[in-house]
Amino acid sequence: MVVRSYNDELKYLEKVSDHCWRIKKGFQPNMNVEGCFYVNSRLERLMLEELKNSCRPGAVGGFLPGVKQIANVAALPGIVGRSIGLPDIHSGYGFAIGNMAAFDMDDPLSVVSPGGVGFDINCGVRLLRTNLYEKDVQPVKEQLAQSLFDHIPVGVGSKGIIPMNARDLEEALEMGMDWSLREGYVWAEDKEHCEEYGRMLNADPAKVSMRAKKRGLPQLGTLGAGNHYAEIQVVDEIYDKWSASKMGIEEKGQVVVMIHSGSRGFGHQVATDALVQMEKAMKRDKIETNDRQLACARINSVEGQDYLKAMAAAANFAWVNRSSMTFLTRQAFAKMFNTTPDDLDMHVIYDVSHNIAKVENHMVDGKERKLLVHRKGSTRAFPPHHPLIPVDYQLTGQPVLVGGTMGTCSYVLTGTEQGMKETFGSTCHGAGRALSRAKSRRNIDYKEVLEKLDQIGIAIRVASPKLVMEEAPESYKDVTDVVDTCHAAGISKKCIKLRPIAVIKG
Amino acid sequence: MIKLKLEALGHPTPSDVALSNRKEFASTILWIEDQKIRLYSIEDREKLRHIDNPKSWEEGYLKYCADLQMPPLESQQEQMAWILSHAVRLEFLDDPEQFASINSKTGPPKSNGKQAPVKVQSIFDGKMNVQDKAFVDGVRQLASKLNVPHHPNHLLQLEAVARVVHERLSPAAKGRQPIVGTPFPFDKGNDIISANDPALDLPMRILRLLQIQSLRQLQTHINETIVAVQNLTANPKTDTKLGKVGR
Repeated sequence: MVVRSYNDELKYLEKVSDHCWRIKKGFQPNMNVEGCFYVNSRLERLMLEELKNSCRPGAVGGFLPGVKQIANVAALPGIVGRSIGLPDIHSGYGFAIGNMAAFDMDDPLSVVSPGGVGFDINCGVRLLRTNLYEKDVQPVKEQLAQSLFDHIPVGVGSKGIIPMNARDLEEALEMGMDWSLREGYVWAEDKEHCEEYGRMLNADPAKVSMRAKKRGLPQLGTLGAGNHYAEIQVVDEIYDKWSASKMGIEEKGQVVVMIHSGSRGFGHQVATDALVQMEKAMKRDKIETNDRQLACARINSVEGQDYLKAMAAAANFAWVNRSSMTFLTRQAFAKMFNTTPDDLDMHVIYDVSHNIAKVENHMVDGKERKLLVHRKGSTRAFPPHHPLIPVDYQLTGQPVLVGGTMGTCSYVLTGTEQGMKETFGSTCHGAGRALSRAKSRRNIDYKEVLEKLDQIGIAIRVASPKLVMEEAPESYKDVTDVVDTCHAAGISKKCIKLRPIAVIKG
Repeated sequence: MIKLKLEALGHPTPSDVALSNRKEFASTILWIEDQKIRLYSIEDREKLRHIDNPKSWEEGYLKYCADLQMPPLESQQEQMAWILSHAVRLEFLDDPEQFASINSKTGPPKSNGKQAPVKVQSIFDGKMNVQDKAFVDGVRQLASKLNVPHHPNHLLQLEAVARVVHERLSPAAKGRQPIVGTPFPFDKGNDIISANDPALDLPMRILRLLQIQSLRQLQTHINETIVAVQNLTANPKTDTKLGKVGR
């Protein structure tokens, strides 16, 4: 590790435009490419403060600052283009959350890193629309929140209400959303409106440890804890009328349901198992990284391939999980309003993954290249006419679902050509932490948090009230700052703003 | 085109020559000179053989281009195309008799839209003379009644007529529900096509819309198939006794 003063560190950073900074080579050792990050003035201050704090003498422990992590990723073998930090970036294990990086599949030295995907593999957001309006839901929102809470178990150690045995799980891991379709939990149109059509074809349940399967089995159809939630939201603002109408959003006040969840303990175990294998592979193949947390293996090595197959299985698990919760949400709404989900027009608008690595083709230096794109806390945002987005969104660009924090707002964006060129078709994923979990616990009182939500008229159901301060809006960056930065930088375009009226949380 | 020319000259691997790779470009030039053009004597080709020595090879290549009397061309791609055409010409002139039997009448059908008339022709095969004046007149009349634009090939026009009839006038089309909802103005999408060239912009948008329409049909068909299978397999179950709220 190089030790430099804050002012010396700043020499390696350069503001190239109002919303983009360049990280020059040399900021961290052995950088193969440059780094960059997108911020506005407020987020910029947070970013640089974090760096400044880490430069103070005697600062040890905790994660490296986000800028340093971006630069360390830029030093991984086989990386192409730039190591990119999105506006919601904050430090994480190895890779910062909100860092995306692409590796050349044709370079035998290129690596895949579980830290670049995250522990909650295929954590993502799904948005369901309804034909209800705020006035229909306001009078019954407490009951509706309770009904959702009864249908979708939440919290650490929760168990789902969809009966599954070991064989069902094996099939679900291999088939992803096709399993949910076969069993009749979801609609054919749901698959159409899901990233990757809800199934990674290279999934191999045989590459997943027994332990992961045991952890995963009872958890299908549960929301989990942490920042996961299901929210009933209303359309607060429409910025792009035509794109919104393509998504079936016609007017302000329309009610939608947002589900933010991932692969639960299953994905966590897959990632943990892979890290152990990869440390061995690194020693064998003599792969050197700047940070021990950046454990990785060559894409073509046994460990690399095993991880990609197990990760795909975990991704499928997450899709089945979100699909199961879609089913349960539809049930809850249908019971409440005494009608059918069909009559409520409860279609999936889209389903995005923001913790995943995928093989994609991109233009690099004017040539088409096959890349392994790591997106950790970063959402795919493909432009109009991209062959991998659903036919309904060919004219608008891919919908990007950005979940806010409890009690604040969420956004729907669309992908742009510029994002395709600058960030390999990637954009932000949410608010991004500003305070660590421990700090939030120390500084914020949970009763205050709940009272505040009550005051602004949000119904809330939580499994563990004592943990809500970790998720208080004060612990996060302002999602509006994050989204505005992406919009201003042109890497995605604002379409719809949503505000919550009921939240259920782990 | 370069690939087709290489194929015609009998190059061993015409489809995977990467001309952007300097080495492959050099060795392809050498192959053409060695095998086909043979402008120099074997000893004089020495410099072109220095594929691993870029400087010396470049020198030899510049001289070679001059000796071939190649007109000044900018990109290596254009130069390669010119050299290949030159080689093909030489090859042809070596023995024109050999190629006498190949002409435009017996050659393989060209792919620029000529397949459609073949289809129409086969429907009427032997039963009707599709080139008959009365037939042509009939097609033209039908087309003008249905507002199908003119096309010099009346058979292509007939095909367009058939499509209009199928989409708008057939019993199946008449029974179809009209599409409801707000129409999406096709110039309001977020896609940028060619903003400063309207002559290009409009036709591109129309072509893309047609493509989207056919994709939509395919996707609807897929969805219908999935639903048909679901009717056989679906059996969603829940058991609230299993549920457990966590900490």
